[in-house]
Amino acid sequence: MTDSDPVDLLLQTARDEAGPEEFRVTGVMMQYYVVCKRELWFHSRHVEIDRGNAAVVRGTHVDETAYADKRKHVSIDGTIAIDVLDDGRVMEVKPSSSLVEPAKLQLLYYLWYLKHVVGVEKSGVLAHPTERKREGVELGEEESEQVEDAIRGVYNVVTSDSPPPATEKPVCESCAYHDFCWSC
Amino acid sequence: MDRNYHVFSDGRLERHNDTVRLVTLDDEKKFLPIEKAEAVYLHGQIDYNTRLVSFLNKHGVALHIFGWNDYYAGSVMPKRGQTSGTTLVEQVRAYDDLEHRVDLARKFVAGSIHNMRTNVSYYNTRGHDFESVLTTLEETRDRLEETTDVAETMGVEATARRAYYSTFDDILPTGFVFDGRRYNPPDNETNSLISFGNSLVYANIISAIRATALDPAVSYLHEPGERRYSLALDIADLFKPLLADRVIFRLLNRNQLTTDDFETDLNSCLLNERGRETFSKEFEESLEETVEHPQLNRKVSYQYLLRLEAYKLKKHLLTGEEYVPFKRWW
Repeated sequence: MTDSDPVDLLLQTARDEAGPEEFRVTGVMMQYYVVCKRELWFHSRHVEIDRGNAAVVRGTHVDETAYADKRKHVSIDGTIAIDVLDDGRVMEVKPSSSLVEPAKLQLLYYLWYLKHVVGVEKSGVLAHPTERKREGVELGEEESEQVEDAIRGVYNVVTSDSPPPATEKPVCESCAYHDFCWSC
Repeated sequence: MDRNYHVFSDGRLERHNDTVRLVTLDDEKKFLPIEKAEAVYLHGQIDYNTRLVSFLNKHGVALHIFGWNDYYAGSVMPKRGQTSGTTLVEQVRAYDDLEHRVDLARKFVAGSIHNMRTNVSYYNTRGHDFESVLTTLEETRDRLEETTDVAETMGVEATARRAYYSTFDDILPTGFVFDGRRYNPPDNETNSLISFGNSLVYANIISAIRATALDPAVSYLHEPGERRYSLALDIADLFKPLLADRVIFRLLNRNQLTTDDFETDLNSCLLNERGRETFSKEFEESLEETVEHPQLNRKVSYQYLLRLEAYKLKKHLLTGEEYVPFKRWW
């Protein structure tokens, strides 16, 4: 535990300047932060997910196949993996529009990371291939603040000794941790 | 949930193109649908090679081997897809903390007593008088609360199981005596059935534990031992009444197994090949039975209950949320 701002800690870690406590946030952690903080905690403890879960199979498939010829996978610091379109915009692909909010925060986080760690400013596009929809995403001041608040929130969750208790949500049914979470 | 395949004949198990095939001594060929397999149980004398092991590994299928006299001899497990240092550290921490260890040991015993009681209570209302056994089981459950070390907890478990086993002679049909639990080797038909049933429960739990990153050798009620998966023994105690004993009662009371299905030697009595086949078939059907799960809000198979038990224990160790042992609720 540290008294410093998790945002600074994350930036120091990314620049290899962190002390003994490193703090990395991946795109998927941002998503989980919005969707379910308990899921985020399980993820942080490397609880294995159910690979046979239908939603996992579907998400992996959409991610691997959609717009495959128009985008390039780029991995940055081994922490975030972004897709860059031919026109230079960062794209995030989601299988359904029910997960727009988490996907949007994830994309904003990528843009924030590119700006603060790599030093490039980019625009984003949120794509739903199965619904043939696209939406432009920009990182303004308000969005930056939203990202930084989320980074602090992620930090609080993953550094807790125990996860927040289970609460029933519509997404529970398709969650890969469902049975682990609700077995009791 | 995928199913188990049992091989009783002698012969050779091999990879053939993209599937697994059994070639018996009289050159009969059988194919095992590998896509749907959870594990393969070998009861006969079987040859196999590394090509088969790699193929099973690729499909995540375990091989459980039963040797001479059908003792569980070992498993060839698929390479671990998941390992977790955090989980192992928490498992060992709980073991090392006496209070925590005794608490878990007590929970395994409390669950076992409950599940034994459910079986006794079932027969108590069907023409038997087991009131005194039920009373003993309740007393052991109360004594459990006061145990302060693992040996004492084990002692309570032994008392409860002895009382439970005392009902077997009444429940089983004429011709089958029990007269107390003996193994290494089992000395009569009933003991051989219990041994065989328990070893199947044990092997299925090894597969269930493997689906989590729990280490099967770190246990709480049973002392972690060399060369055995003692965590599977802890969990098996919870499930023996539901999975093994009910199958025994059913097969004997319906005359599906008779004394002809056993081979009796000087000091041992064991199921013969046909008997093992009958038992395994009934056992597998029992694993596929389903029950409505109150928290998951869907039907789950008895086999999946084993997986859930491993999840529950792991969740307890990682999160500190209470572990509630499996207690039959239906």
